[in-house]
Amino acid sequence: MSDDYPSLLRSERMSLVQLFVPTEVAHDTVHELGELGDVQFKDLNPSVNPFQRSFVGEIRRIDDMARRTRFFDAQIEKEKDVVPVRPLYECAPLLTVGPRSAQTVDELDTTLSQYESKLTTLNESYQTLSERTRELTEARHVLRETAVFFDKAHTQTTNIRSSFDDSATPLLTSHDDREGGYSSGSFDLEFVAGTIERSRVPTFERVLWRVLRGNLYMNHTDIAEPFIDPSTNAETRKNVFIIFAHGDVVLAKIRKVAESMGATIFPIDANADKRADALREVENRLEDLQTVLYNTGIGRRSELVKIGESLRVWQDVVKKEKLIYETLNLFNYDVRRKTLIAEAWVPTRDLTKIQLALRHATEESGTSVPPILHELQTSKTPPTFHRTNKFTEGFQAIMDSYGISAYQEINPGLFAITTFPFLFAVMFGDIGHGFIILIAAVYMILREKAMAKQDNGEIIGQFFYGRYIILMMGLFSIYTGFLYNDLFSKTLHLFHSGWTFPDNSTRGVYTGHTYPFGLDPAWHGATNALVFTNSYKMKMSIVLGVIHMTFALCLQVPNHFRFKRKSDIYTNFIPQMLFLQSIFGYLVLCILYKWSVDWTKSPVSPPSLLNMLITMFLEPGKVDPEKQLYPGQGFVQTVLLGIAGVCVPWLLISKPYLAWREMHKTTGAGYVTLGNGEETAIARHSTDETLEGEEEGNGRAIAEGDEEHEGHDFGDVVIHQIIHTIEFCLGCISHTASYLRLWALSLAHAQLSEVLWSMTLDGRTDPKSIGGWIGLGIMGFMWLNLTIGILCLMEGLSAFLHALRLHWVEGNSKHFEGGGYPFAPLSFAGEGSKEA
Amino acid sequence: MEALFLTCIDNGFLEGIVRGYKSGILTQSQYANLTQCETLEDFRTQLSATDYGGFLANESLPLSTSTIQEKATQILVDQFNYLRGNAVEPLNKFLEYITYSYMIDNIILLITGTLHERDTHELLERCHPLGVFESMPALCVATTVEELYQSVLVETPLAPYFRDCLSANDLDDLNIEIIRSTVYKAYLEDFHSFCGTLGQPTQDVMQRTLAFEADRRTINITVNSFNTELSKEQRAKLFPTIGRLWPEGNNQLAKADDIDQVRAACETVSEYRTFFNDAGVSSSSAHGNGGIDDLAAASMLEDRFFRMEVFLNKQAFLQQFQYGVFFSYVKLKEQEIRNLTWIAECIAQDAKDRIQDFIPIF
Repeated sequence: MSDDYPSLLRSERMSLVQLFVPTEVAHDTVHELGELGDVQFKDLNPSVNPFQRSFVGEIRRIDDMARRTRFFDAQIEKEKDVVPVRPLYECAPLLTVGPRSAQTVDELDTTLSQYESKLTTLNESYQTLSERTRELTEARHVLRETAVFFDKAHTQTTNIRSSFDDSATPLLTSHDDREGGYSSGSFDLEFVAGTIERSRVPTFERVLWRVLRGNLYMNHTDIAEPFIDPSTNAETRKNVFIIFAHGDVVLAKIRKVAESMGATIFPIDANADKRADALREVENRLEDLQTVLYNTGIGRRSELVKIGESLRVWQDVVKKEKLIYETLNLFNYDVRRKTLIAEAWVPTRDLTKIQLALRHATEESGTSVPPILHELQTSKTPPTFHRTNKFTEGFQAIMDSYGISAYQEINPGLFAITTFPFLFAVMFGDIGHGFIILIAAVYMILREKAMAKQDNGEIIGQFFYGRYIILMMGLFSIYTGFLYNDLFSKTLHLFHSGWTFPDNSTRGVYTGHTYPFGLDPAWHGATNALVFTNSYKMKMSIVLGVIHMTFALCLQVPNHFRFKRKSDIYTNFIPQMLFLQSIFGYLVLCILYKWSVDWTKSPVSPPSLLNMLITMFLEPGKVDPEKQLYPGQGFVQTVLLGIAGVCVPWLLISKPYLAWREMHKTTGAGYVTLGNGEETAIARHSTDETLEGEEEGNGRAIAEGDEEHEGHDFGDVVIHQIIHTIEFCLGCISHTASYLRLWALSLAHAQLSEVLWSMTLDGRTDPKSIGGWIGLGIMGFMWLNLTIGILCLMEGLSAFLHALRLHWVEGNSKHFEGGGYPFAPLSFAGEGSKEA
Repeated sequence: MEALFLTCIDNGFLEGIVRGYKSGILTQSQYANLTQCETLEDFRTQLSATDYGGFLANESLPLSTSTIQEKATQILVDQFNYLRGNAVEPLNKFLEYITYSYMIDNIILLITGTLHERDTHELLERCHPLGVFESMPALCVATTVEELYQSVLVETPLAPYFRDCLSANDLDDLNIEIIRSTVYKAYLEDFHSFCGTLGQPTQDVMQRTLAFEADRRTINITVNSFNTELSKEQRAKLFPTIGRLWPEGNNQLAKADDIDQVRAACETVSEYRTFFNDAGVSSSSAHGNGGIDDLAAASMLEDRFFRMEVFLNKQAFLQQFQYGVFFSYVKLKEQEIRNLTWIAECIAQDAKDRIQDFIPIF
């Protein structure tokens, strides 16, 4: 394979490079490479604790800066009126490379801490002021409420004085009377007044009741407006309470309980005039305080606005700096601590680009010592890197979420671009529904730029990410819709039908010409339509399934060539192919042959292919002449069965035998595998773990077994091959049956859309009266909603999942090796977009 | 088997959650890393690599040990409240029982504090958040036990436990200690019998843990009551009537006068025998200054008790479909917070030689 153009067929060829970076340019180099986003650095000191690494001091400083920016962010968010935050792309960039970079960061650090201390002081004074305001507001409330209360008591007592016997006399007044201390406007009854959090009122009341054994009178009212804590923005609702009791001890107890329950107690005078004075004073002070508070708020706000102007740049810089130092921590110092040594994976194709970037970094930083890059020879497995664009990205992601393919393996993501939407469309086939999702996809693609910028939320974001998949699915669904001749469960009469129905007869007469494309519309509404489409779609799914599996099986071959395991072609690929074709390939041929025969003119009735396949196994060689498809069938089937039978031991034995012979040859020649025994043991141990995970996931073992050909024991090879053989042979049967989901889902989809039509719009499409029009409107609305909601969204998702499964399990198990690890380059781009 | 499935329906999710939480408990190697830290900032960096994550990220420097402890406790409290919020009966009740011990501690803390005329708000801040109940602040008002009970405790679930100690009239230090022990005894017995109603696996695991807890209290009370005003009859009344030492061991302990007799009483239980090995030797070798030595022995004993507790709680995780894991998780996490505080304190005070004296969990 040439490396001239990047291709999706295989992952990029990678090189392990070593970088010698002089300490002076290290920061700028990493910055440049981060902007390029094409280099994956390896951790050269994995055994070192995070806080023992070289640049931990810098990271700590950056962390503190990050904390400050987070603090600003939180402050801005908390501000009631929205503070404008200038987005990143509108800000002047802050240069952190070049000779002045260290200074810039220092300056930023001081700016940040200055702002922080300023903001903290402002916050503090704001807080104290609002605390004072809150207290005064509470005092005002207490004064007002108690005033109301006293007034009421006043009028009541005067009223009640005339009727002493009233049993419903309130506690206060009777108490009052007994005291006899009440005389025109002066109270000498003792009471405690204050405010308390509303949720605590019941407990407070209860505790007081118990502590004082009921010797108290308590009244409380709600304060309408909530109190807002300026630092946390939490709302608290409070109540004003007033408690009358008698005796110093008791009052002291009440105060103590109140204080411990978090209540605020205000000294309130019993005298109405004094209360009025106090109220006036409180209100005056409150007014003054509010002016001051307002000014402080304004000052704080202007500070925040100033911060908001450049906050995003700071965050960006801080984030990049942190990433740079974290990367630098992966590097090694050379002996004299003048140079940093880094190892990294880069795509071989981009080596020159990286060289250029390195040179650029040197120029930027104004030094003359460039970083040196040289390629290393390595036996380590490089990361898997598929270069995708916005179109292929989604398809590749579908395949990657199953497993990352091995380095340089045939990438199933490439073929998924067509097979995936096609298999989806086989299940989803309907011109109308296909058109709806096509429109949705086109809309997303046209508004791509705008939508990429905004935050779409999780669900819409998912759809947006897969917009090109949806586009392809829509196009293919329209195509299969034409094949099924299905438009919202109705048919299209594009050409003349091949059938006529003379004189209202229910029996069609063949006119002699065949409907040129798709299903003949005459089938629609025929009594045997379901029988026909069922049989047709079922057979079609088997045909498509066997083709898909055969294709997937063939993808093994380039892998075998690539990884230099030519023997696998005869030990794995050929027997597998023969096995598959001699049973299921034969079935497909029979299906096609059966379709081609005009059974109305045949002397025998059409034989059931399912029974044929079963008898082929149960009674090899015997075919009932009544059910014979073609002459010589018995013999052909015996031969095919024989081939399939031979393939099983072939698959089982040949590979272990080759491995055994190989081993014999090396030991026979006097070599012992001791030399690198330890190293391979370690290597095998680590890969075995990944292998096991892989096996659980996709249920395949062979290819991995091959990969470590020499490293593996003979026993391993045998076991892998046994598992693989059983897996493949049983898999062939179950996987073929699994493709029947194509039929089942397509049938379900067609039936559902037909049911929907007949339940809502059927018979209403030609309204005669106003009522009819209204009915049409309502039903049409319902129909449209259900079509989009159920038939496009839900059915679409289910078809999507089934297409996914057919690719992951039925397709991938035939060739996919997996076990690679993705290329994760150092990149600022991803970080930036996450924040914005 | 049927019960097993039923437990799964009700508590399978929560058990999964708690087992997940458990795997976040710091391991030996993480402790090893933590003890290498030079400053509390290193400590924070190191902790951010564990399950604690960035729980200290928004704290401004310099860090204090109390912030670390507070934040770590907050994590435990949040986790516990999540579990409690999702629990159904009888697990709900079980989790409530766990909080009772914290409630007892809080009550004792508050009344002791009030006795010594500490600031109420400061005291309230020091209360364990798991043991907070709404009428708790009113405890500061009480001056006698009677009042305490009548005004506040009567409406808490702890009321039945306090009923037995209403006789003690004045609140002084000794009385408070007696109240604590009596209440705790009642609590342990009640919890023990409650676990008995929960059916087999829970009963087994929990009663084992609670029996140890009871024994630990018994021994502690005995050791701490040497040379105090507490009479032997009073002492005997404070011992929980559960545990592996009950009844013979308890009887002997009630009569014990020094640590050797305590050891003799514990001989019957093989697990407890080792607790006194070194302690006993040192006590007999230096019999002259018994007071100081007893103190050292007691602190060593305390340490071993903690180790034993951790061991038992770890064992609780070996069995599935039982509630013991919830109890054990809370206890283990609490131990972990103690460990973190200890290490942080050692780092802050530059006492590197004692930094290893924590109790590793896994």
